[in-house]
Amino acid sequence: MIMTGTIQNREKFLNQLASRLERPRNSSPVERPTWKFRPQDEVLKNASQDELLEVLEEQCKKIHTSFYKTDRKNLSDTLNKVVANYGGGPIVTWKDERFSEWGLDSLFKQEWPSQNIDVYEWEHTKGVENIAKAENANVGITISEITLAESGTVVLISDENKGRTVSFLPATYIALVPKSTLVPRMTQAAQKLQEIYNRTGHVASCINFITGPSNSADIELNLVVGVHGPVKASYIVINDL
Amino acid sequence: MKVTLFATCLVDLFHSNVGKATVELLERLGCKIDFPEAQICCGQPAYNSGYTKGSKEAMRQMINTFQEAEYVVSPSGSCAFMLKEYPHIFKGDPVWESKAKELAEKTYELTQFIVDVLQVEDVGAIFEETVTYHTSCHMTRLLGVKEAPMILLNHVKGLKFTELPGKEQCCGFGGTFSVKMAQISEQMVDEKVCHVEETEADYLIGADAGCLMNIGGRIERKGKPIKVLHIAEVLNSH
Amino acid sequence: MAMKIGSEPFKERIDNGIHDDFMRGAVAGAQDGMGVKRRLATEELGNWEDWRSHGEEIRQHVLEHLDYYLEQLSENVAKRGGHVFFAETKEEANDYIRGIVQQKNAKKIVKSKSMVTEEISLNAVLEQEGCEVIETDLGEYILQVDDHDPPSHIVVPALHKNKDQIRDVFTKKLGYNKTSKPEELAWHAREMLRQEYLTADIGITGCNFAVAETGSFSLVTNEGNADLVTALPKTQITVMGMERLVPTFEEMEVLVSLLTRSAVGQKLTSYITVLTGPKEELDVDGPEEFHLVILDNGRSNILGGEFQSVLQCIRCAACINVCPVYRHVGGHSYGSIYSGPIGAVLSPLLGGYDEYKELPYASTLCGACTEVCPVKIPLHNLLHKHREIIVEKEGKAPISEKLAMKAFGLGAASPILYKLGSKLAPTAMNPFTVGDRISKGPGPLKSWTDIREFPAPNKERFRDWFKNREKGDK
Repeated sequence: MIMTGTIQNREKFLNQLASRLERPRNSSPVERPTWKFRPQDEVLKNASQDELLEVLEEQCKKIHTSFYKTDRKNLSDTLNKVVANYGGGPIVTWKDERFSEWGLDSLFKQEWPSQNIDVYEWEHTKGVENIAKAENANVGITISEITLAESGTVVLISDENKGRTVSFLPATYIALVPKSTLVPRMTQAAQKLQEIYNRTGHVASCINFITGPSNSADIELNLVVGVHGPVKASYIVINDL
Repeated sequence: MKVTLFATCLVDLFHSNVGKATVELLERLGCKIDFPEAQICCGQPAYNSGYTKGSKEAMRQMINTFQEAEYVVSPSGSCAFMLKEYPHIFKGDPVWESKAKELAEKTYELTQFIVDVLQVEDVGAIFEETVTYHTSCHMTRLLGVKEAPMILLNHVKGLKFTELPGKEQCCGFGGTFSVKMAQISEQMVDEKVCHVEETEADYLIGADAGCLMNIGGRIERKGKPIKVLHIAEVLNSH
Repeated sequence: MAMKIGSEPFKERIDNGIHDDFMRGAVAGAQDGMGVKRRLATEELGNWEDWRSHGEEIRQHVLEHLDYYLEQLSENVAKRGGHVFFAETKEEANDYIRGIVQQKNAKKIVKSKSMVTEEISLNAVLEQEGCEVIETDLGEYILQVDDHDPPSHIVVPALHKNKDQIRDVFTKKLGYNKTSKPEELAWHAREMLRQEYLTADIGITGCNFAVAETGSFSLVTNEGNADLVTALPKTQITVMGMERLVPTFEEMEVLVSLLTRSAVGQKLTSYITVLTGPKEELDVDGPEEFHLVILDNGRSNILGGEFQSVLQCIRCAACINVCPVYRHVGGHSYGSIYSGPIGAVLSPLLGGYDEYKELPYASTLCGACTEVCPVKIPLHNLLHKHREIIVEKEGKAPISEKLAMKAFGLGAASPILYKLGSKLAPTAMNPFTVGDRISKGPGPLKSWTDIREFPAPNKERFRDWFKNREKGDK
């Protein structure tokens, strides 16, 4: 049960705003206007999943992200190869049933351990140990809930089994991207989040829109890939349609 | 077609050649030119410096002067735009707002008038030189005239055009800015002159006497062998 | 560091800027490079003007109903267990934050880049409390390590420094012993900062856009530093300028898209993070306690007035990246953390005309800023408005200028005076005229002729030529 927070100094502050706007305080709900412009709907309008996939693949080149296409049957092999390319473990992953549904159990629980690759699954009951594991990991693996073709962005929605830091602390990052999650752009993601909120009245404490690896151009505008977050990133698209 | 010329004070006092070329060019295109003697200055130098009240009398003078005109045409994008600002400046004024609006609606910059109203793209000019063109900020961004000068220059026989690098950058004139912020203005005009030199053009063409005075003045001071002409003078060469 | 930076007078700051060759090269390179990226990123959409209009209508709507949306935001943050503090002044904001620091007995604080915390000098306050404050944005970190050098650009704060200068600073202050390669410098900062995130007591962030309906707020970075600042420390404090909010996720999305394209020419930046409240009960990472400080600090005086549109700003710096004046003088010349056209409009409003009366004149009114603004703030018109106020209401214009403008006003309104003046001009200017030009002008002309030639007045005015010609025709 969440304790309600506090609000301080509000009335005087807001009254001042109303007085500056030369009207009484706005007490009844303001209706969201029907906007005159909606250019965001035009981007990749009517594109098929295959077309969106092409856009995503092209965009990955621009965001320094390796792109792989596979199906459920070959996912295990592909993932194994990508991890090997990144130099193996330790690996940290979300705790998510989809890994098992996609036939990754034997890779996670047998193959990798047998190669002495440490695989740690997020377990909230273990508290801060999770963060230590993520901090020491070479690879973090999560699943994209919504994938934006235009920008090459994966959307992660946190909960107790889906730690935020799995995608930030490890040296490299792999996103598993179900093809069915592809949408044209952030517009559709915002609509989905809105829909979830309308339905449940709840928003996850952290929603991440991740577009490739961490980078900075703060030194003489030279692009440096890999600053605070992962140095390398890969997307593995799974044909689930 | 009857055209009333708004020559601008800079042309009247310092660059009469531009005024002469404008008259001859428009006459060649079949216009009859009228020049009301009462015109002085659009008020921009004072207005842009913040002296709105102090410049309104000059604006009223202009509004009255051009009251009877059918088309007001000016060889300056910046000054033409200033006339188009009048309705905003006199907004709420029971007498002057509507008069200002009338003037604004019939005001054109020279190249805009030739292309949009006269619907002429080839004025029959011949100019066998290599030129580059400075797109003035007020003319392109505020007045929104971007294509007309290029269309007209493209049709000038013998003219070899080279694009000015960094053409969208201000030359550093900015009216009183050029003296008030002379240090900064110097850096801006220097970069502009460097860019003009890079084009290896023999002539720099522009459509605003203010910018040309600034860039040309710096070119002369530095002793560069680049000649500066107003677009009206080029279009009047034949 | 407050909004004001440096203590030199305006002319001196300009002079320093103009003579800083590296800075000018860096700024010109940045403008050219980022200008192209921004243009490509906006043009590829094919309907950028509609995007700008949409951005504008969203921002205008929010400002018109700001009290409502802030109330909604605060309710929803509290519902999620967050604490909201409305601060009218920077002192109130700092006192509140100081209280949290004391209560938590915090020793180490990590921050992600935030202009608003610069505006209220938060770091100085925290350091007075004995806290170690660590900026985690690479650019901000470099400036901080270099004895708190002020930022010169709101998106690329260390733009004025080159990599050799940065290497020297790292060597001197951090015992760095590698080269000036950006990769190696950045890697060193990464290693230094990793430990700081893991051991910090409090994380402090700014806010790109808060979402009223859900009590969420978004952070936009490329480095991922804001994510670590908000995921690891037990307490999080977010400071937002009161105008930085939108109704729902759908408007947030539009403004984020406008921001990333306009600021850095990217479709989206690497990390866009939407946070709501403190962590949930069973979450492992994320803060246990969340505080949102909503800051006025002079903004409400802008609301409802002729400068209201400046509050539409989303801090993308597109105006700075195209400004021909900023190009040559750099950020520090503005004497404010808010530089460029937006700074020249905003600084006098937040910091007063006494401090910033020159800034509105540091513009040719070329309109490049207005043209690129993704939320359609008429920046050059607002600069002009400042001038009007300085001249007509504040009476702060120099006397010589007032006299000259008075003379101009009279001359330009009276055909008789104009005739007299213009007829006399060639004679009056005769002593200064050589051939067809004036090289050493008197009075106000001197500033002109110090650097360029001025044309001599026509012997025959255009109007005389026209009249004579008409006579000849007859």
